[in-house]
Amino acid sequence: MIRVILLAAGLAFAPAALADAGAAAQAWWIWPLALFALSFALGIIAVIAGVGGGVLFVPIVASFFPFHLDYVRGAGLVLALTGTLAASPTLLRSGLASLRLVLPLALAGSICSLAGAVLGFALPVNVVQTALGVLILAVALLLWAVERPDVLDEHAHAHFDWRSRRGVLGIASFGGIGFIGGLFGLGAGWANVPVLNLLLGVPLKLAVGTSGLAISLINSSAAWVYIGRGALLPAVAIPSILGVMLGSRIGARLLHGMPSVMVRRIVITVLALAGARALLRGMGVWP
Amino acid sequence: MKRDPQELYALWLEFGTRLVFAFALVCLALYLSGVLPPFVPLAELPRLWTLSAAEMMRAAHAPGGWSWLHYLRYGDYLNVLAIALFALLTLLCTARLVPAFLRRGERGHALLAALQVLVLIAAALNLFH
Repeated sequence: MIRVILLAAGLAFAPAALADAGAAAQAWWIWPLALFALSFALGIIAVIAGVGGGVLFVPIVASFFPFHLDYVRGAGLVLALTGTLAASPTLLRSGLASLRLVLPLALAGSICSLAGAVLGFALPVNVVQTALGVLILAVALLLWAVERPDVLDEHAHAHFDWRSRRGVLGIASFGGIGFIGGLFGLGAGWANVPVLNLLLGVPLKLAVGTSGLAISLINSSAAWVYIGRGALLPAVAIPSILGVMLGSRIGARLLHGMPSVMVRRIVITVLALAGARALLRGMGVWP
Repeated sequence: MKRDPQELYALWLEFGTRLVFAFALVCLALYLSGVLPPFVPLAELPRLWTLSAAEMMRAAHAPGGWSWLHYLRYGDYLNVLAIALFALLTLLCTARLVPAFLRRGERGHALLAALQVLVLIAAALNLFH
């Protein structure tokens, strides 16, 4: 299976090598095909590493594909939206996501996500790209920090009251996370889960499921901004959605047979490289 | 017997997601097979997708806001409709929650669901353009 992932990744980056010769620029279909291959590989890796596909998709595609950042952010947002929509019914039925818990958090997240999406179209692209680079480097650092099993509390069971001080802090945090998600087209599960678990005392499994449910609501609001601004290009968004969904299904089947710690370390390294590339591209050092 | 709002939301979302996924696959097949012509010529894409969304809309004379609904005879905009339906799903499912919470006397949750619906409607209407 590692060979399949490597093959898909190789197919994904082949057009980038051809682009220098100008060959890939002539054939439009090479890029959506490469995008499908990359998204497929990311879908497998994301499930095994326990991160959302969007956080890998946006920086990698923004750094190594010719699409303008607007379409990459749009595709990343919709990719996270469709993935969480598909998973939410099962999570809700099995009690691994709480609708009542998510309502105040998603409301704050949705409002701020709209603001983030609108701001993303108002700012110069190099500013958004630089900020994306900084954010992705921070995410890589965060993932590396929570790699230690004692960081997240698996047995947390505090009763959540959103009118309490911690509840208000949680709502404010989801506002901030929603803003970042809308601005960069990310699902932001990497931030939702620590806030739910460490700040609000939600048990880890419930935090993971509830984060997915929150993303489906929060990204729905920002998606309208991207649709209205013409930033959802079907040739970019559709291959990405299909690739990640197909890859995630295979990743879920392989979950128990793969060395997840090693995959997670690879993901952290890839994130650090993509973050550095986005940062340098935004600053004009490596265009 | 009254269903719990969480169960009701899961039921509506599951049905809606399956329906929209099937619709999205049909739209994609119509687009890729060339049964429906694209509004933006496919050969033009490598030039246009390097432009920002605003620049691309000007260069391709593409419709903004909800105007794209008039262009559903084109394969690319039919696919945009499929994506928009995904975003519409949460709005419909959350709207269904309001009476479900009210029937159970959970006014706080009903209010939160109603506010979420208002935010999603405002977003869909492009009030934040």
